[in-house]
Amino acid sequence: MTRPRTARPLAIFWLLLVVATAGYLGVNAWSGIAFRTDLLSLLPAEKDRQDANALAGQLIENSSRRFVLLIGHSSREAARSAAAEIEKSLASSGLVSLQQIGPDQVKAMGAFYLPHLGALLAPADREALSAGGGQAIAQRALAQIYGVGGFADAHLLKRDPFLLFPAFLTSLPAPLSRLALDDGYLSVKSDDKTWIMITGNIAGDPYALDTQDKFTDLIADVVGREAGKAPDLAIKRGGAIFFAAKGSQSGLRETSTLGAIATVGTMLLLIGAFRRVGPLLMNVMAVIIGIGAGLAANLALFGEIHIATLLFGVGLTGVAVDYGIHYSATVFDPSRPTTWQRLHEVLPGISLGLVTTLIGYLILLWAPFPALRQVAVFSIVGLSVSFFTVVFWFPFLDRGEAPGYGRHLLGLANVFWRIWEDPRLRRLCRMVLLILIGLGAVGVLQLGTSDDVRRMQSLDPTLLAEQADLQELTGTGGAIQFVTVEAADDEAALQLGEDVGRTLDELQAQNALAAHRGPADFVPSLKRQAENKALIERLDWTGQAEALGLSVPVKPTPTPLTLQQALDDGALPFLKEWVLGVGRQVIALDGIRDVAAVRAALAGRPGVHFLDPAGDFSERLGTYRHRAMWLIGFSALLMILPLAWRYGFKGGLTVLLPSMAALLLTPALIALGGEAISFFHVMGLILVLAMGVDYATFCAESDYARRPVTMLAVLLDMVTTLLSFGVLAFSSVFAVHAFGLTMLLGILIAFLLAPLAGGVNPRSRGSV
Amino acid sequence: MRGKLIILAFLALLASGPAVGEEPQTLAQGEILRGRFMQERLLQGFDGPLRSEGSFVLAPDKGLIWRTEKPFIVTTLMTEKGLAQQSNGATTLNVPATRAPIMTGLYDMLTAALAGDWSGLDKDFTVERSEDGGKWHLRLKARAGGPTATMPVSEIRVSGGGFVDQVEIEKQGGDLDRLTFTDQKREAGALTGDEKALLDIAGKP
Repeated sequence: MTRPRTARPLAIFWLLLVVATAGYLGVNAWSGIAFRTDLLSLLPAEKDRQDANALAGQLIENSSRRFVLLIGHSSREAARSAAAEIEKSLASSGLVSLQQIGPDQVKAMGAFYLPHLGALLAPADREALSAGGGQAIAQRALAQIYGVGGFADAHLLKRDPFLLFPAFLTSLPAPLSRLALDDGYLSVKSDDKTWIMITGNIAGDPYALDTQDKFTDLIADVVGREAGKAPDLAIKRGGAIFFAAKGSQSGLRETSTLGAIATVGTMLLLIGAFRRVGPLLMNVMAVIIGIGAGLAANLALFGEIHIATLLFGVGLTGVAVDYGIHYSATVFDPSRPTTWQRLHEVLPGISLGLVTTLIGYLILLWAPFPALRQVAVFSIVGLSVSFFTVVFWFPFLDRGEAPGYGRHLLGLANVFWRIWEDPRLRRLCRMVLLILIGLGAVGVLQLGTSDDVRRMQSLDPTLLAEQADLQELTGTGGAIQFVTVEAADDEAALQLGEDVGRTLDELQAQNALAAHRGPADFVPSLKRQAENKALIERLDWTGQAEALGLSVPVKPTPTPLTLQQALDDGALPFLKEWVLGVGRQVIALDGIRDVAAVRAALAGRPGVHFLDPAGDFSERLGTYRHRAMWLIGFSALLMILPLAWRYGFKGGLTVLLPSMAALLLTPALIALGGEAISFFHVMGLILVLAMGVDYATFCAESDYARRPVTMLAVLLDMVTTLLSFGVLAFSSVFAVHAFGLTMLLGILIAFLLAPLAGGVNPRSRGSV
Repeated sequence: MRGKLIILAFLALLASGPAVGEEPQTLAQGEILRGRFMQERLLQGFDGPLRSEGSFVLAPDKGLIWRTEKPFIVTTLMTEKGLAQQSNGATTLNVPATRAPIMTGLYDMLTAALAGDWSGLDKDFTVERSEDGGKWHLRLKARAGGPTATMPVSEIRVSGGGFVDQVEIEKQGGDLDRLTFTDQKREAGALTGDEKALLDIAGKP
């Protein structure tokens, strides 16, 4: 067959299109491509979730900026001087803002609350007074006043003879329950050491590599210097930035290793197989053009691209390498056809492969998650463009002649086909199949699922141990679960917060929760202040004055305390983190032991949301996984249509069989290995289905004489896929590992079973 | 609050009442000091002094039991862990040291003073010593600035012979606390079971 007349105009038209796309990308790159990295933007924009997502994002951002250092030494003085030096270095670095809780802070708090004396009550006192326990409170005050030392001076006693104000101050929730203020430093003593806490917020983006490097270098420097002065100085580090820095370091190392294996491996494979660089360059070009087109389509449609879209999109577009290799492998066809004849030979197979794969990707388009839609657009455009690059350009670019060594390669590849046909191996094959089915059945029984996002990252064990020590020493690990309270204004939100606080107290009493603290604990609502004032005025002031020998008691006239005042004053610096806007407040929950109980107790209250960012995210990944599984099933069903059209219904089913087996066996085998199936495994299955159908189609399209050539192409496809995706199974990042492992097993199974589709015949071989 | 700290520190001194010219002595390991006290609080604008009396037990490393008998019975317990008050067998007040951070510093000072270590006080006060007729006097004036600035105490006067007999604490607002100690005796024995149980209450959540 000679070159069709349309070939040259099409190739030129395609060139113009590619140049135009490149130009579009160039312009975009010039003005800056909007890359998004926040995971939350991947989530479906469900209406009631939107606000919660924004809040969760803000909370996560706040908490990811925070860091804690505990400096420990057997000598209190050594610990303090080291802490002072570290604080000084940190403060002068400009990288962080330190939260110092000096004696001034305590004094400032006292001074801040003093004008509101007479409207403030400790929760226990309010309860006692409401229950008519005024006498006990009066007695308690007398005991304190007559007792050792005495709490208060005359000035305070005249206005607060019941000592309700000191009781209120000591009842305020302590953010760190085990730490005590020791001469300007929050400290805690363990068996053999005094620990000093330094805490603050990272000024820059804790996920920016630059910030991470500067910060961890600074800490390492100053700690190293101090450890030189005091040899047994110990340090415990806590905060997202330390984990992120470690993760980035190992991630970068790993990415470069795995990336190198994939790149070098693929290059060696293709150069080794073809003994020329041509096929390698052509295939790389086809995939790169596809990726460029996918990126351009995304930018044109969405105006931005998420980094995860880019990763998955590149992966899904990479499937196109199958079509290019399939074409390139025909160079080994011993009948030495022209490049146009070679294209003609593979065109039905790769077209069908494209159609079935596109069906798989199109399904993603209907998925109600923005991220998957972006991925779908990226890969549909990318894959199609790569495909047409192969079809329109390869016959022009390829000058290959069938090399003499081809026979050995073909012989080797054909082994994978022959094992299914050799009568001597038939029993062995059946046994292997039976064993696989058996393993699959056992695996299915052990199938478990988990999308716990906390498991998805691999966290540095040293840092985890330090974090655990830190929690042990300070009594809290920083809240990671919250209740958000939203109302029309601050006052309404505070009242709602007080209401929620009562529920949380009950949960605390049931041991479902260790502690909670929020704005309403520090700034009672005006309504509550009025109630407090009434309760306090009802006390027996005359009696108490007599008991104390105080002729003129001064009933306090508290001024109302508002949240805005408290925020402006700065005596309660932590308040800022809990007040996200007018009427929008956060209550931090510590040490939740029974998430279900907390969730249930807070459910159904207007304006109240229980926020468990990590838990929510895991839950939604679970939903994704579910939907993705249905979508895979659905797309497999849809794929039957083109396959049945080409091979008849029974034939179509047979072509689908190898990938269906891979879809079922892979999760089962993974479960057998003791791993729970997650969203990321399922994402891998999408690719397994797409590529598995390709392999089987190629085999079905192959007539008997061309089988070795087809099998060689499929073998090369499989090995390149394993090199680029399979190696990800060795990643220490769980999500990446899950994706890679699924690919590794699924692609292997799909490859080994693909020749089973070889017995199927197209209704009209050789034409599309 | 901080005033209490000072008193505790000086209660500790009861045990180490320094004979003039001698190095201050401390309670030996395991020794206990028992005695009676009279406390007068002269508060500005109050009709008369608030007077209370009772007995106390001080066991280094364990804590202090302060039994007020008049005008009513209240027991105050103070340990490293916190402070508690009991009346009629019920705990009416219990503040863990972590909620009143000063308590930790207080306990550090208590132990320091028991060890005869005056450096803790030297930092916050200028110390003047004098004697007359076999009695010694200490006059401690708050230093300007430093951590003392947060202490409402302006001057502390201590006097004694074999033991500390009297402590006067003058506060910045003009209030004065006067503690007089009598019938003091050192014991080599341990705390009784009841006393131990009492001290266990302090600071318990």
